[in-house]
Amino acid sequence: MTAPSPRALAWRRRGTAFAGGWREFAKHRSGLVGLGLLVVIVLLALLAPVITDRDGLDVTKATGGSLDPPSWDFLLGTDRAGRSVLLLTLWSARISLTVGFVATLLSIAIGTIIGIVAAHYGRWVSGGLMRITDFFLVLPSLVLAIALSTVLERGIGTIILAIGLTSWPPAARLVRAQTLTVEARPYIERAKALGGGHLHVITKHVLPAVLPLVFVNTTLAVGSAIVSESTLSFLGLGDPDPMRPSWGSMLRSASLDSAVIVGAWWYLLPPGIAIGIVVLSFTMVGRALESVLNPRLREG
Amino acid sequence: MSDILIPTEETLAEAPPPTRGGGAVRYVLTKIGGGLLSFALVIVLGFLLFRVLPGDVVQTMTRNRPATPEMMAALERRYGLDLPLWRQFLKYVGDLLHGDMGTSYVFNVPVTQKIGERLWPTVLLVGVSTLISVALGLWLGTRSGWRRGSRFDRVSTGVALTLWSTPTFWLGMLLMAATTGLFPTAGLVYSDTPPDFFSQALDIAHHMVLPTITLVAVTYAQYQLVMRSSLIEEMGADYLTTARAKGLRDDMVRRKHAVPNALLPTVTLVFLHLGFVIAGAISVETVFSWPGLGLLTFDALRVGDLPLLQGTFVVLAGAVIFMNVLADLLYRVLDPRVRAS
Amino acid sequence: MIIVRSRRLALGVTLLASALVTAPVMAPMHTAAAEATSGQSGKILRVGVTQEVDSLNPFISITRTGTDILRANFDYLTVYSQKDYSVEPSLAESWTTSDDKLTWTFTMRKGVKWSDGQPLTAKDPAFTFNKMMTDETAATANGSYVSEFESVKATDDYTLVIKTKTPLSTMLGLDVPIVPEHVWSKVTDVGAEPQYPMVGSGPYYVTDFKEAQFTKMKANKNYWRGAPKIDELHFIYYRNPDAAVTALQSGQVDLINRLTPTQFDALQSDPNIALNNAQNRRFNEIVINPGAATNDGTPIGTGNPALKDVKLRQAIAQSIDSKKLVDAVWGGYAGEAAGYIPPAFKDYAWSPPADKRRKFDLDAANKALDQAGYKKGPDGVRLDKQGKPLNLTLLAHAENNVDENAGPFIKGWLADVGINITIKPVSDTEINEATTRGEFDLAFSGWNANPDPDYVLSLQTCANRPNAEGKGGTPDSFFCDKTYDNLYKKQQQELDPAKRADIVKQMQARLYDQAPLVVFGYENALEAYNKSTFEGFPLQPTKGVIMNQQGYWGYYGATPKGEGPVPVFGKNGENTATGADTTNTAAQDSGSNTGLILGIVGGVVVILLVGGLFIARGRRKTADDRE
Repeated sequence: MTAPSPRALAWRRRGTAFAGGWREFAKHRSGLVGLGLLVVIVLLALLAPVITDRDGLDVTKATGGSLDPPSWDFLLGTDRAGRSVLLLTLWSARISLTVGFVATLLSIAIGTIIGIVAAHYGRWVSGGLMRITDFFLVLPSLVLAIALSTVLERGIGTIILAIGLTSWPPAARLVRAQTLTVEARPYIERAKALGGGHLHVITKHVLPAVLPLVFVNTTLAVGSAIVSESTLSFLGLGDPDPMRPSWGSMLRSASLDSAVIVGAWWYLLPPGIAIGIVVLSFTMVGRALESVLNPRLREG
Repeated sequence: MSDILIPTEETLAEAPPPTRGGGAVRYVLTKIGGGLLSFALVIVLGFLLFRVLPGDVVQTMTRNRPATPEMMAALERRYGLDLPLWRQFLKYVGDLLHGDMGTSYVFNVPVTQKIGERLWPTVLLVGVSTLISVALGLWLGTRSGWRRGSRFDRVSTGVALTLWSTPTFWLGMLLMAATTGLFPTAGLVYSDTPPDFFSQALDIAHHMVLPTITLVAVTYAQYQLVMRSSLIEEMGADYLTTARAKGLRDDMVRRKHAVPNALLPTVTLVFLHLGFVIAGAISVETVFSWPGLGLLTFDALRVGDLPLLQGTFVVLAGAVIFMNVLADLLYRVLDPRVRAS
Repeated sequence: MIIVRSRRLALGVTLLASALVTAPVMAPMHTAAAEATSGQSGKILRVGVTQEVDSLNPFISITRTGTDILRANFDYLTVYSQKDYSVEPSLAESWTTSDDKLTWTFTMRKGVKWSDGQPLTAKDPAFTFNKMMTDETAATANGSYVSEFESVKATDDYTLVIKTKTPLSTMLGLDVPIVPEHVWSKVTDVGAEPQYPMVGSGPYYVTDFKEAQFTKMKANKNYWRGAPKIDELHFIYYRNPDAAVTALQSGQVDLINRLTPTQFDALQSDPNIALNNAQNRRFNEIVINPGAATNDGTPIGTGNPALKDVKLRQAIAQSIDSKKLVDAVWGGYAGEAAGYIPPAFKDYAWSPPADKRRKFDLDAANKALDQAGYKKGPDGVRLDKQGKPLNLTLLAHAENNVDENAGPFIKGWLADVGINITIKPVSDTEINEATTRGEFDLAFSGWNANPDPDYVLSLQTCANRPNAEGKGGTPDSFFCDKTYDNLYKKQQQELDPAKRADIVKQMQARLYDQAPLVVFGYENALEAYNKSTFEGFPLQPTKGVIMNQQGYWGYYGATPKGEGPVPVFGKNGENTATGADTTNTAAQDSGSNTGLILGIVGGVVVILLVGGLFIARGRRKTADDRE
């Protein structure tokens, strides 16, 4: 039997590491519960067009009464136009989750690139990039996001851009710190001595070492992004399309329709609870991942 | 508070390295210089960003009334809108150095006056909330960190995480709904409160209850979590094990060593977050109609009141920069590795 | 030490928290039953408003709330009567016009005093108008009224002579606050914030103004019609309309307006609240861009060229169900659409005859569009004559109850006839900008008509379009039609009321046919007040509104409970009262307050349980955890 190729060895090693990590992760019940919830919610969101009828979102086809409390026909009651709140909550998951994911990916991508470049090239590049990072860190990001959303076309793209462009600094700082740590290790020096160029060092060595940390950060950041989206939508800067609701815009409608005065708790609670559950799940998963990566945080 | 991505424990990895005593002056100057540079960038950014906002103010001001072209031209002249962009910028900077931030389009009063009126309600709300959040967070964090894994720890961490995960404005709305009639849900004071200081102060406190609770509920969690984890890290430190091995009592160990050392990152965090909380108070101020700076910024954004926007942006960002510089300086002072040397 | 310190901290926190919690107990109680009294004495009317005051400078303010306050602070030469908007003498007792209609001579009322005791003479209006004519800042708010003035002179203490450049129909409706010359002549910057107390000639004068909080006014004991029944009038600003309603319910304010139908219905069951559902003078419309151009015909803006086709516009008009909107958007508190002039003005209102009426009919609209040559594309969206899909934007006022709720309906209906609508909610500023520049396809709009329809009719004339610089006009729909314009000129010069009304109706028929705009309702004014503290308020017109009147009757005649009946003001301001008052809508059972509390508590419990569950499942103890 021939010896396995270096690549096969590498993959096997990665496989074992992954399995080991998964075992560690599985020790955290909270992480498992969070992951489970997320899987269920994402599945429901993806399957929404299959299991429900999108026409239910059209106000001209709404059949319920105005702001009716829950009944057998409408398990979570109706909104002002008579649409089912349950249906709205389900379909809102699609928008809220999409914005959360994509905005986070954007901010993490920007942050990672800037962090790695700053740490790798050092000196002036680092100084300049870190000055920019500090500057963005210092700007009131909600104000900036609001300003951007006011200037650009209203819609999902703008919100993603606004959140992504204002929440990358922490990731940049983190990645920079981690990259500095990684690059101080002897094998990097060896790789450079062997003639490895910048791109080689970055992609083959730095990235794999940094990515797990980035991954953890991403998980935690998605939660924040979803809450940011809900805040921006609540303030009136989200997608105005009534056929594309998000949890934040649902709460905005509830607020404008005087749900508090009327006592329409079935309209006020579900979107907020949904946000809470999703963000909490992401946080749980993130913290479990953190302890997988950081042995000192492990508790057993 | 999770309205914006909050730097948590990870950012503290970016703490400035301890330097020897002689570098202190250079450190201070570097930090202050950096702060001033950031502030200058903020001014430029603020000016440019809001010029891009859509809206012709003069058209708006004269919408509901038949207006002659002469009137419109006069209004334009009055606000300096007929100058080229770079000249407007120079004028702006020049005025700024004299402490003049221009005149608000909508309110027709100096921007500095407007900001002055609205600054103290925000400072009051944010200040009191932060004090309570920090106190609450530190206490809970210490207790749960020390008794890691206990029921107290589990429950309090769970509650903290849950509250941190919910949007601020939603909590505010729920509080409003749940306490109908008990507390005022809008404004600073009633119009018919007697004007003496005691009644007014009491009335303001009465109005402040709901917004403060909301703000505290979403911010205390991060202090608790950070305090808890830094305490846990401290507790694993070698010198503590040594101390215990030597037979020192547990709570002596805790009191004299663990907690003070764990306090450091948390305190720095407080300052870092102060700036964010000021900006994040927009949510709370909007829901409760609290007449503060956050609400002013949001309303000005919707109407396109350029001078006001630039002013509030500069003030808000300036406050955050100031807090950051303070945090960096404080860290330098408090870092035990530096103090010891 | 740290433990002690943190104990101290804990103690401090507890003390602070208890102080905050006990504050409501110690603070003055504001229940519905309690009457509001000022620090010194007397009755206060507290009005909740949801629009911020821009400025209380009478030369600058243009917001509804600002002008409402100023109307109570300063009287006018002539006012609109409470009963039916007819013109009545006020500060001017009588007037004559020269034969060429260019010279107006007003005889001022004698014995009128300012709130500081100084006599009001012809010098005051002369000063006011001249200031507006010479100082461009002073002309900010109301300059248009004096733009055609040639000269204004006070020939003696009680005679005011105004010479105009052209005959003006607006001379008896000069909505300009007359300021005291002895105060304002000393002011160097006329546009600055005024001094308080603001000396006035109206039933009240402003004593305190805290921006974004409240405005306080005191009764003017020197008011020439007689002092009001209450001592103080406060306008309290609520950014959140729900907060204003809650304030009314808990007795923090006595009167609020601009209620949404939901809020109005929610108040039905409150035994302390009286409601007023009044027909108003407003019409709500969707303007359709029929080809925006400047007043010399140069096209401007980004309107979809397909909308130049009247058949397309008519199909759009046919796809909007006014009846459904009245129910869904206004909860029934509105009038169904008919003509351009609201039915509140009986003389001029018009309704399409049965054979011309466009009933809401999506099938008919679809057919009409098919016949007009708009084929349906592969995704169901019709293509215009150039083969481009009909994707139109609809501009809406963000946070406006009508726009936010009606928009989705219009989008849904038009989708069913193959027109794809994208709703764009924007700020009031932006929508004004965009409509003035012609940068819209469809837009929500609406106007308050006046007793004299001339102004709203003029909005649809060719001349009302802006000039090349985008200024000089307040365009509505950019309609430009020879027939309409000719009729407009005719009615302007027609002195016989019946004949004039007939011409106005023909104009409305033309608008209906050409469909540059689609009226979809006439919203009622929804107001509420605390009837355990106040008897009522004079309405304008009879069975009309309390707030935002064309005058001050509502505030002036505010009657606290037990001091009734509510006055009805006739000519020369005498009280001809015996009621004829507000209507009380029947109380309905809603009672979902318990539901709310239960729901909230339940929700919080759920959250805590969920959170606690996560944690309870985790964290195993380690050896170190023993305490």
